[in-house]
Amino acid sequence: MSESVKESAKHKGTSADSDSVLEIKGLDVTYSTSRGDVQAVRGLDLAVRRGEILGIAGESGSGKSTLAVALLRLLKPPGKVTAGSVMFHPAGRSPVDLLKVNGEELRVLRWSALSYLPQGSMSSLNPVMRVQDQFKDVILEHAPARKDSLGELIPRLLSQVGLEPRVGRMYPHELSGGMKQRVLMAIAVALEPDLVIADEPTTALDVTIQRVILQSLADLRTDFGVTLMVISHDMGVHAQLVDRVAVMYEGRLVEVGDVRQVFKDPQDPYTQQLIESIPRVGRRSS
Amino acid sequence: MTAEAPPEEAADRTQDSAPSPGVRAWMARHPLAAYAVRRFGLYLVELWGALTIAFFFFRLMPGDPIQTLIQSLQQNYIYNAQASAEIIARYRSEFGLDGNIFSQYLKYMEKLILHGDLGPSLISYPTPAQDVILRALPWTIGLLGIAAVLSWIFGLALGAVAGWRRGKLGSRILTNLSIALSHVPFFFVALILVYVFAYTLGWLPARSAYDSNISPGFDLAFIGSLLKYGLLPGLSIVLIGTFGWILSTRMLMVPVLGEDYLVYAEAKGLKPWRILTRYALRNCYLPQVTAFGISLGFIFNGNVLVEQLFNYPGLGTTLVTAIQQLDFNTILGVTDIAIFSVLTAVLLLDLVLPLLDPRVKYWK
Repeated sequence: MSESVKESAKHKGTSADSDSVLEIKGLDVTYSTSRGDVQAVRGLDLAVRRGEILGIAGESGSGKSTLAVALLRLLKPPGKVTAGSVMFHPAGRSPVDLLKVNGEELRVLRWSALSYLPQGSMSSLNPVMRVQDQFKDVILEHAPARKDSLGELIPRLLSQVGLEPRVGRMYPHELSGGMKQRVLMAIAVALEPDLVIADEPTTALDVTIQRVILQSLADLRTDFGVTLMVISHDMGVHAQLVDRVAVMYEGRLVEVGDVRQVFKDPQDPYTQQLIESIPRVGRRSS
Repeated sequence: MTAEAPPEEAADRTQDSAPSPGVRAWMARHPLAAYAVRRFGLYLVELWGALTIAFFFFRLMPGDPIQTLIQSLQQNYIYNAQASAEIIARYRSEFGLDGNIFSQYLKYMEKLILHGDLGPSLISYPTPAQDVILRALPWTIGLLGIAAVLSWIFGLALGAVAGWRRGKLGSRILTNLSIALSHVPFFFVALILVYVFAYTLGWLPARSAYDSNISPGFDLAFIGSLLKYGLLPGLSIVLIGTFGWILSTRMLMVPVLGEDYLVYAEAKGLKPWRILTRYALRNCYLPQVTAFGISLGFIFNGNVLVEQLFNYPGLGTTLVTAIQQLDFNTILGVTDIAIFSVLTAVLLLDLVLPLLDPRVKYWK
């Protein structure tokens, strides 16, 4: 019974559903070092369905962040994608292999179709630009027609993540960690992208703020209908936020499935350990 | 004891603010203006201190300028071999060399501050030193000012590109060239330029500031002549200066390229040019603005070697002549102008920096 659930979950995870936003097939990512090559992602197959929140779980070094930067095409040497394909199906555009597009084609695809939500504690905001200008440059780059509505659009995006309009006139160093994370969330959905890849969106925030951020993320899905891929080492985040969770270990996908199923009945021994190792909300409630 | 301290402190504070509540409130409401006032006060103190040190420093130089003057008068004119003590005393008083050193100092500062008078020059007596300096100043500012601005602009642009495309062949060549050339003395480059373009090829003149056959005036012929004569000295400074700025800009640029906000800008799909200018360069050019302001201040020192080499009638040449003849007033005058310009440049920079970088704040 449980075996068949896992099978069906795995099947759903890898199948080329017509409603998939992203289909990853046989992805290999290697870091070449002076002491030999290190395979960070090995033969990974995964599909992201339109409108879902997919969690990627795993310990440090399991390859989940490498997967994120590889999908975003932000992988820097010595990292290199050595095999696989990533078919991306943006709405209203023809499907593309994210690993094959380059230059101008990739630049145009960015943010309007594929956006990125980095960790707020990282200095992802340009320290010398006002927050509103960091909205403005990306909106004008990809949707110049919205130039006249910017004055109304930016406060609306900020209020969507629970920030006052005056935050737009502030500089990043005047914001708290939680505020920065919200600004990044608002920028991520500014152009209503098909897919947002969030890399550790709650890490380095205190627990109360984490909760609020997770709630805002869930609201963004409801309001904007974005598809989210959330990378986090924190199983609590997955329990609270995601629809499906994919567990990675040593670069491989060990389990994919509905988050409730996975928590209730983890198939892989590693997933079991991962769930047992954390002070989980679910344990207290059950 | 410690328990008593807080009320005492509180009492002190009320006493402190009691005489000037209006000033405090004004400072709290206008932090930038309050900062500017404080900074200007510091500027005045610095100015006074530097001028004072310069004054006493040059009085330590050995030799007697009046003896030199008398000697040169004796050589040039038929003159009573034994100049009377009265004449010497008159010259001493005129040059501000009479009385003890402190009364000299007070008299000098009074004339300088109240009348802008530096005293008569010795090298072209009886012309006042300020006139001698003002005659040379436009040449120096024209040559060195333009050279400094050009080398900063070229250096910043090329250095940014060298940092941006680091690891690429062109960038590596430029960087290594800069490392090699930025430490070559510019007078050596000037000598090579003179040898090649003036001496061997004969394309450009190597001496003076303009063709002496053309009378100075605001016309094409004179301006053309200015450019032609200024090209070699200017080029020697621009070449070496540019390589220096390239190196320092690249050095500032490379760490910024590893910042998270550059990765984010790339993920945003912004055009590379925009990432380079608005994200990378904008975050690292502040030290270069500061350095540029300070280097502009130093222009007023003149560039002694280049001006000597090209016989350019600027401040550097004036300074050398003045030192040779122990012309206290002119030497001090050139030094005073250098002090004034460097300190003023730094003052203006300090006032402008908060506008350039929002993270710079001098007030709470």
